[in-house]
Amino acid sequence: MRPFEYIPIQSVEEACAHLAEYAPDASILAGGTDLLIEWRRPTGKSPKVVVDISHIRGLSGIATDGGEVSLKPLTTHTEVLKSRIIREFAPLLAKAASGIGSPQIRNRGTVGGNIMNAATCADTVPPLIALGAKVTLQSKRGSRQLALADLFIKPYHTRAAADEVLIDIRFPKLSARTRGAFIKLGRRNALSISRLSVAALLEQHSDGTIVSACIVPGAAFPTWQRVAEAESMLGGQKPSSALFAAVGQRVSEVMIAQTGRRWSTEYKEPVIAVLVRRALEQCTVQSVMQEGANA
Amino acid sequence: MTKCAITTTINGRAYSLSIFPHQTLLDLLRDELGLTGTKCGCEIGECGACTVLLDGEAVNACLVLAPQVNGRSILTVEGLAKEGKLDPLQESFMDHDAVHCGFCTPGMLLSAKALLDANPHPDETEIRTAISGNLCRCTGYVQIVDAIKNTAVHHETK
Repeated sequence: MRPFEYIPIQSVEEACAHLAEYAPDASILAGGTDLLIEWRRPTGKSPKVVVDISHIRGLSGIATDGGEVSLKPLTTHTEVLKSRIIREFAPLLAKAASGIGSPQIRNRGTVGGNIMNAATCADTVPPLIALGAKVTLQSKRGSRQLALADLFIKPYHTRAAADEVLIDIRFPKLSARTRGAFIKLGRRNALSISRLSVAALLEQHSDGTIVSACIVPGAAFPTWQRVAEAESMLGGQKPSSALFAAVGQRVSEVMIAQTGRRWSTEYKEPVIAVLVRRALEQCTVQSVMQEGANA
Repeated sequence: MTKCAITTTINGRAYSLSIFPHQTLLDLLRDELGLTGTKCGCEIGECGACTVLLDGEAVNACLVLAPQVNGRSILTVEGLAKEGKLDPLQESFMDHDAVHCGFCTPGMLLSAKALLDANPHPDETEIRTAISGNLCRCTGYVQIVDAIKNTAVHHETK
């Protein structure tokens, strides 16, 4: 690793002051599970100044705030997957956190780091976008809130300026009528990078009729997005495997229309369709399914 | 390049150290303090050979910047034995032939230690999850899982 100046930070204000002075040569360090690998890579980016925010107490923890859940960015993946609040109001996020890296990675890696690193395989991002998360960025110039879905420009690039630090993530609690699911496809069970993932939400009437749906694939598009073309097929319909398979097919078509045919498309084309179908099935109370879900 | 001063507790002993900020906890343990029980494997957080406990939680020492342990407590494999007596986990690893080449053993022991400290009677799924960040290329994991599973029993009968 190449040498750098190291600044341990105790408060957001202090972080903003240092970032105003040193950006764009500064790098913000939280859990370090992505950054230390990058800094050690012979051709990797190397910072001149490291602003270590990992000790800022106010930037960690999960709380309910009225109808919302506030998730502070330094919260680790282990804290997310163990949180009663997340398990109750955003179980798909707990599921996503549980599949990240290994216990060692989950004990250090943070949700904020997962977001700001902006790798297309980041597992917490599809559930958070499905949940309608908003993020707050702060700098010496002030703070601004934006939808998480609008934060990303392209892989590894966000709209956050070099002097801005992520200070809050929040999303509405899932309603009692909405169920969510997250499915990750990796090459093995542990320490695997998502090859594809799907976060889905389904809001249903008590008779099973679908009110609204949300589908956010991961590692499928250059940046994450809801697939409105597929979601709109679900409103007012009764859940069935045939319908969910058709919706999965639509997601696959939209993915190819946007990304073109690449070396991995032959595999991803049928597999994303199946993952979407399975995620929607997981969101559905089995008793209201119109036909068997074993296909 | 300026060094920074940190204080940290390693295996129960307090240290005041002057370190380079671009050193990792793994560099600090092995190169500065000679605690070479913690192994250097992949250095990208994949193999778990460098697993140590940071305030009781398993972490990859290769992915922790040394200055980040300022004020915190670290346990390495050298700190498992107490007053010349091996930890029950270490005894159980020997009894179950869970040590073959031995390279993964320090990391495995510490991942297992973190698990058992929080949950003294884990089931097999919990054990396999706890060591899912530690690669072993010799044993096929069965002896290691058995060793961890039987540690509580072993401890009570000795």
